[in-house]
Amino acid sequence: MMLNQERRQQFLTLMEESGWDTLLLYGNTSRKDFFRSLVNFNFFGPHAAAALASNGISIVVSHPWDDELLQDSIDANVTWDADFNAVIHRLISGKTAIAGREFMEARFVDEATVSATAPIENLRRFKTRGEIEYIRQSARLADAGYRHFVETAEAGVAEYELVAEVEAFLKSNGAEDNFMLIASGGTEVFGMHPPTERRFQKGDIITTELTPQVNGYYAQICRTMVLGEPSAGQSRAFAIFSEAQAAAQNLIKPGVNIKDVARVQNDVFRREGYGEYTTPRYTRVRGHNLGLYPDENPWVLEDVDCEVNEGMVLIAHPNTYLPLSGYMTFGDTLLVTARGCVSLNQTEKKLFSKV
Amino acid sequence: MKRGLITWDPSEIPPAVFNERLDGVRRALKERDLPALVIYSDMWRSNQARFFSNFMPYFNRAMLIISCDTPPTLLCGLSPRVYGWIRSVTIIQDIRPARNFAEPLFDIAGERNWLRIGALDLDRFPYDIHTALHAGQIALVNLESQVIFSPAEDEKELTIRRTAATIAGQILEEEIVQGVGVTDYLFVGNLERRFRRSGAEDLIILITNGRAVPAPPAGVLLEENFSVSMAMEYRGHWVRLSRYHGDAKPKASGSASYLERMDGSYPYESGGGILQAHHVEFNHNGKRLFYGDTIL
Repeated sequence: MMLNQERRQQFLTLMEESGWDTLLLYGNTSRKDFFRSLVNFNFFGPHAAAALASNGISIVVSHPWDDELLQDSIDANVTWDADFNAVIHRLISGKTAIAGREFMEARFVDEATVSATAPIENLRRFKTRGEIEYIRQSARLADAGYRHFVETAEAGVAEYELVAEVEAFLKSNGAEDNFMLIASGGTEVFGMHPPTERRFQKGDIITTELTPQVNGYYAQICRTMVLGEPSAGQSRAFAIFSEAQAAAQNLIKPGVNIKDVARVQNDVFRREGYGEYTTPRYTRVRGHNLGLYPDENPWVLEDVDCEVNEGMVLIAHPNTYLPLSGYMTFGDTLLVTARGCVSLNQTEKKLFSKV
Repeated sequence: MKRGLITWDPSEIPPAVFNERLDGVRRALKERDLPALVIYSDMWRSNQARFFSNFMPYFNRAMLIISCDTPPTLLCGLSPRVYGWIRSVTIIQDIRPARNFAEPLFDIAGERNWLRIGALDLDRFPYDIHTALHAGQIALVNLESQVIFSPAEDEKELTIRRTAATIAGQILEEEIVQGVGVTDYLFVGNLERRFRRSGAEDLIILITNGRAVPAPPAGVLLEENFSVSMAMEYRGHWVRLSRYHGDAKPKASGSASYLERMDGSYPYESGGGILQAHHVEFNHNGKRLFYGDTIL
């Protein structure tokens, strides 16, 4: 359903509790998530906004094709204007809160409004049953995509050629979009980036994170493969990553704090003498939430205070550089259940190798 | 998303081209007695910073600082671990980490005694950054993009856009004849493979069987006279085009026409300009067909 009725009810309750007359959910091309949390429509014009009030929903879009596609698909007042700045201000009525206010163009923001970004993020952190089903589909596609990745990667293929094949596979199988990074080489590799013209060589480690999107919702898988037999250093590194990821997965259950999910991963590296490689110089986060945005809050870090609860979907990935192997990636999308968590990925948890 | 080949081939865009563009900015700044200009950049709004530096973020946010007397500086939300990659595909050497862009900008302004600086399309900066920048001691002067950013008047820019348009037209016309009877998912997958192997960084592909305007693929079988309307980014240069299957003759004017500006930050912005995409819709055997190109 295009209109997420469960979210609509949650948002109306939040509005009542907060004394807001209007809740405006803004989206632009790179951050559609707040808009789509209520109106799951994949607009392509640069801007869209939905104004929720007790008496209905008003939507403005910035491209006439978005307008036509929406008009007959949703019970809402839909309008469009090439001059989005002219129309967005008309959505403000009474005390108005905006989710996505921080990344709106400054000219769009009425100073009398307040931000609804954090409270809406707090609600979105816990997925509805329907949202979880979409993320399950994305996770299955991530698994299939990684199989295709391994099948296609071989010496002589360029990074961007492999990415082209994986993109083709994911789109052919219904992915709406995909966030993907890659790296290849040895101990000189400190992180992933968009694909380059570098051609794979025997002995390379090839890392990726695949993040396909189905009906708006992202799931992610992180794996590492070696072209050839893994070296002793690569195998040793993978054992550390595997233990760290397992430590997170074994810990996650309702009531646990996110900072401890980060800590148990980092503790494995510290115990092995690689604590330095859990710092920002070598790594970004030890995981993050997933949903309508591929990098949702909370980020899994030791200084992030956030309680885990049922319905959260997050990836735990201890991705970092180690001098044993170079940059390595390993992680699964995890659904928090009443008693623990389950992996939504089915891909074997191993260091892949292709001789 | 930008997950294709982001690269810089100096034989394609020599450093001198960027230097000329930067010199143009510096002249505009000196005329206004400004020591520097800041340009905001993110995955969606990358055209302007790319024009001056070839920097295209694949994630996160950045701010390019062009000063009158030093090489450009990039304040970057991405990890320092990828600065080597950034240096390899841009003209930028000075890259500094930034989460809150205001703080490092104020530091630089303090070091260089800047009291007021220019900001390109300041009122289009994200609200959080806009607010943070205004909380400091330096005055920000808005410069409208047309003052310094005019891709339609830059011969190198137009040359690469023409190359991009040629690649896009050729691949789409070769693929479209094979589309009938396959799902739009598979058709788009095939386009992804062809375009990304040809060096496309980003693609936005819309498709219709002629009963509505083009839309993202939805898993339907493609029929005779289906239309594809797409945007492709090649070497940071966006082009738009629409094509349809079948042998109906395109009409110069149809039942509707659509204009998009191609000199802005993103290719699906409604509105015209010197560099624009013009799409015509016309009826053929009861179907809505779409045809269009990027034009100067």
